Amino acid sequence: MLKALLIILSLSITSHAIVESKIQQVMDKKVHQVLNILKNKALSQKQKEKKSISVMNSVFDYKTMAKISLGKKWKKLSNTEKKQFTKAFEKKIKHSYVDKLRLYNNQRVISKKLKKVKPTRITLENQIVGKTDTYKVVYLFYKDKKANQWYIYDVHLAGVSIIQTYRKQFSSFLKTKSFQALLKSL
Amino acid sequence: MKPLKSLLFLFIISILIFQGCTTKEPLTPPQKSKQETIHKETLSHTEKVEKSPVESTEFDNEFEEEEASIVDPLSGYNTFMTSFNDVFITYALNPVSEAYGYIIPQPIRIGISNAFHNIQFPIRFVNNLLQGKFQNVSDETERFIVNSTVGLAGLMDPAKEYMHIPKHNEDFGQTLGYYGVDSGFHIVLPFFGPSNVRDFLGISVDAYASPLVNIRGLENYKIPNNFAQSTAIVAGYFINKKSLELGQYESLKKDALELYPFLRDIYEQKRTADIEE
Repeated sequence: MLKALLIILSLSITSHAIVESKIQQVMDKKVHQVLNILKNKALSQKQKEKKSISVMNSVFDYKTMAKISLGKKWKKLSNTEKKQFTKAFEKKIKHSYVDKLRLYNNQRVISKKLKKVKPTRITLENQIVGKTDTYKVVYLFYKDKKANQWYIYDVHLAGVSIIQTYRKQFSSFLKTKSFQALLKSL
Repeated sequence: MKPLKSLLFLFIISILIFQGCTTKEPLTPPQKSKQETIHKETLSHTEKVEKSPVESTEFDNEFEEEEASIVDPLSGYNTFMTSFNDVFITYALNPVSEAYGYIIPQPIRIGISNAFHNIQFPIRFVNNLLQGKFQNVSDETERFIVNSTVGLAGLMDPAKEYMHIPKHNEDFGQTLGYYGVDSGFHIVLPFFGPSNVRDFLGISVDAYASPLVNIRGLENYKIPNNFAQSTAIVAGYFINKKSLELGQYESLKKDALELYPFLRDIYEQKRTADIEE
């Protein structure tokens, strides 16, 4: 009995997602992990990408992102379609993220600001120092009430919301083309 | 004075015309921008925006209405110009910038970028002032003085490296936006890329304050002596900048389903965010 309890306990500690008090800490750690992976000359580009993704996987809530990005159309999808879309969308986001990482191999992260805007919304702001400019990256967290954990549902890069951008794109795409065509293009 | 007068005339006309054209993303408080709704503590008023219990998700009030259609009278021209710029970037700007970047070492190119930024100080000074952002005016002045002297005519940036004085990039388009001028319809400029009525006016006005753009009548305060020299300087600026940002445009393109609406959307989002800060 004790053994089982211990196993469950250790599993939940190592399990993903974040508790509120730890958001800044966990994100700091993850960001630095990713930066170190990118700086590691011993790894191939593909290995770097794979490792970076697995570091960030546990905090990105792809399903919610996919749902928000489709807006009202999400409800009209069948369950299989929802699954297909989430999968395609997740793949697209990961590729996009990794592609951008490749360009910013020598980032330095300076200031960070944590703000609780609502009981269930927190924003974490990072400043990334580039060659000539400093970029603001804001991670938006929401609280999954059931699990009492926080996940990322959007990222703002230099003021541009990733999910808002996809939302607009999908909505205007679906005005003239079918859902299947959308899946194909992702 | 002639060009200034006709510019003013154009400005006034445009303001009057576009007062009515606000069917674009309605800038009503609940939908103004995600930034704003998120950073406001009192979100309760946005929750009153219609949602039938079946349709709403808890995130809908944080994102803009997807159904809002955009006033885009120049969309045909814009789409064409986007392709033109794309071809220009891919086949002209990129190769030249790559070659340039191959020859000139990066620290020097960063220095050149710093110097360009530094010399555009008058624009930032005036626009921060016009927006009443006095702390910014003082920051920028400090940056300019320090970087121009200790920083070797702006090549270095000791104000950032050692004194950590932040930049405050304001331009006239942002000043207009600050005072509530709507962006007007989207215009894609040849070579320069996405813009809109307000920001295009902003660029034109800023040209008067910029030491790098020749304006008839103000030659004493300007570096280039004629249009050709202005063009050469602007071209140099873009090539140098591109050489430090190789690959970014291509990476950005991959996120687009349709290039023109995508670039238009992110441009407008970025400008809205810039105006708010």
